[in-house]
Amino acid sequence: MASVKLTKVKKVYDKDVVAVHDFDLDIKDKEFVVFVGPSGCGKSTTLRMIAGLEEISDGTIEIDGVVVNDMQPKDRDIAMVFQNYALYPHMTVYDNIAFSLRLKKLPEDVIYEKVTAAAETLGITDYLMRKPRALSGGQRQRVAIGRAMVRDSKVFLMDEPLSNLDAKLRNQMRAEIILLREKLNTTFVYVTHDQTEAMTLGDRIVIMKDGYIMQVGTPTEVFEMPKNLFVAEFIGAPKMNIMPAELIKSSAGYSVKTFGVTLPVDGEKGKALADKYVSGKQILLGVRPEHITLAPEGPNAIPCMLEVNEMMGSELHLHVYTEDGTRLIVRVPTVNLDVHERESLVHGKKLWLTFSGKVMHFFDPETQENLLN
Amino acid sequence: MDKNKPLEYLMLSRWGKIKYNLKAFFISIPRGIANFFLKIGKAFRNFGRAVADDFTDLATTFTKGGIKTKLSFFIMGFGSIARGQILRGLVFLLFQAVFIFYMVTSGVYWLSMLPSLGKVGPREIYSEVLDTYHYEYNDNSFKILLYGVLTLFFIVAFLYTWRVNVRQNRIADEILAKGKKLKSGKDDLRSLVDDQFHKTLLALPLTGILVFTVLPIVFMILVAFTNYDGTHDGYINNLFGWQGLENFRTMLSWSSGEHNYSATFGEILTWTLIWAFFATFTNYFLGMFVAMMINKKGIRFKKGWRTILVLTIAIPQFISLLYVSKMFAKNGIVNGILMDLNLIKEALPFWEDPTWARVTVILINIWIGIPYLMLIATGILMNIPQDLYESSRIDGAGPVKQYTKITLPYMLFITGPYLLTQFTSNMNNFNVIYLLTGGGPTNPKNSWASGNVGDTDLLITWLFKITTGPEAQYYLASVIGILVFVVVAIISLIVYSLLPSIKNEEDFQ
Amino acid sequence: MSKQDKRNREEITRRHMGLKASARISNTIIYIILILMSIVWLIPFVFILLQSFRVELKCPVGYVIPQQWGLDNYIALWTSDFKKWYLNTFIIALVTAALQTVIVLCMSYALSRFRFKLRKSLMRFLLILGMFPGMLTMIILYRVLKDLNLTQANALPGLILVYIASSGMGYYVSKGFFDTIPKSLDEAARIDGATRFQILRKIILPLAKPIVIYTVLTAFMGPWGDFVLARYVAFGTSSGYNVAVGMYSWLTNDQINNCYTMFCAGGVIVAIPVTILFLCLQRYYVEGVTGGAVKG
Repeated sequence: MASVKLTKVKKVYDKDVVAVHDFDLDIKDKEFVVFVGPSGCGKSTTLRMIAGLEEISDGTIEIDGVVVNDMQPKDRDIAMVFQNYALYPHMTVYDNIAFSLRLKKLPEDVIYEKVTAAAETLGITDYLMRKPRALSGGQRQRVAIGRAMVRDSKVFLMDEPLSNLDAKLRNQMRAEIILLREKLNTTFVYVTHDQTEAMTLGDRIVIMKDGYIMQVGTPTEVFEMPKNLFVAEFIGAPKMNIMPAELIKSSAGYSVKTFGVTLPVDGEKGKALADKYVSGKQILLGVRPEHITLAPEGPNAIPCMLEVNEMMGSELHLHVYTEDGTRLIVRVPTVNLDVHERESLVHGKKLWLTFSGKVMHFFDPETQENLLN
Repeated sequence: MDKNKPLEYLMLSRWGKIKYNLKAFFISIPRGIANFFLKIGKAFRNFGRAVADDFTDLATTFTKGGIKTKLSFFIMGFGSIARGQILRGLVFLLFQAVFIFYMVTSGVYWLSMLPSLGKVGPREIYSEVLDTYHYEYNDNSFKILLYGVLTLFFIVAFLYTWRVNVRQNRIADEILAKGKKLKSGKDDLRSLVDDQFHKTLLALPLTGILVFTVLPIVFMILVAFTNYDGTHDGYINNLFGWQGLENFRTMLSWSSGEHNYSATFGEILTWTLIWAFFATFTNYFLGMFVAMMINKKGIRFKKGWRTILVLTIAIPQFISLLYVSKMFAKNGIVNGILMDLNLIKEALPFWEDPTWARVTVILINIWIGIPYLMLIATGILMNIPQDLYESSRIDGAGPVKQYTKITLPYMLFITGPYLLTQFTSNMNNFNVIYLLTGGGPTNPKNSWASGNVGDTDLLITWLFKITTGPEAQYYLASVIGILVFVVVAIISLIVYSLLPSIKNEEDFQ
Repeated sequence: MSKQDKRNREEITRRHMGLKASARISNTIIYIILILMSIVWLIPFVFILLQSFRVELKCPVGYVIPQQWGLDNYIALWTSDFKKWYLNTFIIALVTAALQTVIVLCMSYALSRFRFKLRKSLMRFLLILGMFPGMLTMIILYRVLKDLNLTQANALPGLILVYIASSGMGYYVSKGFFDTIPKSLDEAARIDGATRFQILRKIILPLAKPIVIYTVLTAFMGPWGDFVLARYVAFGTSSGYNVAVGMYSWLTNDQINNCYTMFCAGGVIVAIPVTILFLCLQRYYVEGVTGGAVKG
């Protein structure tokens, strides 16, 4: 149970390839922090620096107030779960879990107690005498978690633990990790490239790109107030629609003009714009697919053509393109559609779209930053 | 395919493609050579810079360092001991003591003799008391050269250690300045089985390599510049001395005289290359075919066939090769059986006729080599994804097309580097030649050259023959050795530049 | 069923049969080739075995089956220096196998698992070093060993020293194998609190069993059949010979007519232990050879 503090942490490979740029982060005790980003963004490298598997080129990492830069991994009091599980293939599940305890020279009866307790929690008691290769992916994953659990360490590190599992198992294990977290009640640092995992697991999410932190915030914060275009597009699936637009400031307030249609910016967004004294200009307008609705034909609706209709069950994903060829995605809940309406949505059908001002996101086309920052 | 080829390349006919590639290859040679020298130049420049940087670094360490640091420049390990790192300091100090002791007691002597390789040779001395002559042995050129080189190595090692010792001060000061603790002797020892474990692991193997490979090679390279031979052994007969490039001139200059080493060398080199080529590729392709035959679906006793072939690997070569060599002798079993069957009237000159001998060694080498290649090819063939074959069958490829378009390219891609090492080790395949023919049949044309050169002699067996017996010409042997190295290095460089980037070792991790 | 259909079906059956028949033919050809090859491969060994029992003549002859069978040659071996050579070879091979394995494993583990400053340069240096013909170094090694009084009758320790000293150069195969063991195992073990030494002992070595056996096997077989160096070092002193050098001396022109059958008998005695060892451990050998070639 401990805090982790990263100050200006930097990782440089081969003298000039910078993998992580001045990384600042304060992870509180018992917090669950998720590093998320596309591959090569430096998230794993950062985690491995915390673990002590990579040298820290610059800056400091503190665990519980102690600078651990020069400490060996084993002295940092951390536990880690690897993407490919990294189970010792020649040892049984029991020996795998007991390995670290034996290295600590604990008496065998204590080890037995700890290992069986962990196995009980994870539901792998029946497999204790098996070798890892006789286990399924999900079972291996549990053993890997068990191996980390028995160490009772201050910080629990997980490096893409679910990405080798199939979709169904992944959902199940995700839920189990949430339970595990409640049971262990310790600090978690979790790395993933999957934004759903990040959103569902994290108390706070650190979104990274090319070695830089793009945004740090709670799931709600990063979803509702993405700091820049990258975060906006990365969080949420299908990803946010981005359209070129003009922000118009008039006495009545703000409005945006996009695809020849002018829509008012109402609600808090308009107030926030006013508070920031944003002037009218060309912007990139972001609207999430689920915030766009189908509208009757009219001057305030964006005309477009339906290209593909993906039936997801609870909703439809409509891929449409506007008159100038911009592609947009619209999520339409099926709850309000009858069969006839649903089946009329075929390739080539003309549709009209609209969305409210409350769900708009405004980005500067140059800096790609959110105008409301 | 090379990504900087134009797309039109795809439309060329097979010959067109080959022509294109050949042209591209020859065009790239000058650039390749230029790049090579550029690289060497750069390496030198970088080295020069590093040395210069190091000197400035040394100077700043000295001027900015405290008294502990300054004293460390003269008494190694002083700084470490003064800062409490007793163990480290003592190791440095001990090294310095040993070095000084060695230099004073013998190092200086060997170094001073190195330029002359000995001043006073063995001589006859008249003893008045006994009224007899007896020999007095004095300087030993061999030892001078050997220990001279060793002393040079030692000096380099000392300079390096001294440098490390100085750097220690700087590092220690920096650590102390940050308010951290220095590593204790116990920490040092512990790190030798942990984060510095590689040093422990490598210490013994590298010392062995240094003393038993690097040192002898340096020594032998130097011998090429002396007249060390059977009659100038450096101690008992005569001293030997520096010769400059004389030996290389003997070996390589194209004089019109009858006794011409360069012609002999050229002949043997040509045969060596021919041999290496055939030995490598006959084994490679035949081994692959055998592997494919055994692996074919429907063939039974796969393990049995393999085991029979593998027997040749298990049985020591000196037995099998010597025996086979006698089998093919004039009065050997092969001739005996053939004559019994009335297939031939006179014994076939397997070892007596140059061409017969050359073909026979290549054939017997196939017998020796196929099993290895069969094993390797089996391993690789089993790794070729089966769906490649299935999809090609659907595309309409027959067995031959499958072989040329899938199996062979895959094999070549994976075994490229292995083929290269096979080629070079065949160039140096001492056992097969020496045990089968001993290099014979003797070539009368070259009988004047030392080593009793024969028609199947490789450079390596020639080298060996030159170094045995009282007429050993060690200096010639080392010239040959150096030339072998040059040839191998050139071939390796060319092949490596042609191979796709499979040499990248991290690709396999 | 229409006529057309029927014809089609017949055609298909015929083709099917044809396929089967052609497969049978090609398989038969392959069997013939394999049988012929097996004969060629086994002949020398069968001959050597047969001739080792020949009593009537001790010189090479043009026939194979002995006219008079007996164990004379084996008895002659027992009374010759062969016993001593055999013991020499055995001791050398055993000690070398043990020490060389340790050295090779140290070397390859270090080069596979540690990323230290001069690692790449070191590997390149060793590669270049390997391009020098090893034969060249024997001249000096011989004289150094002679100065240390480790030649001729004392050839045993001298040979062992030379065999193991440079064995670090042959790290390629086992490094290639170590490289295939995922690094995350090391990392997991480090986090679990193991030192590098413990990782080697408890994780890597148990997983590298095939390559350890391969290394032991090749390290044993090398000196068991070595000729060149052994001949150099033990030159002219029978008590320092190994079997290869000793038996080679039986085939020189002035000896061959007296010792040829003895050579055959000796060959059998020398070949038996390695062959058994080899066939038992064949699986590991194959793994090492293929792995080594693939990983370059």
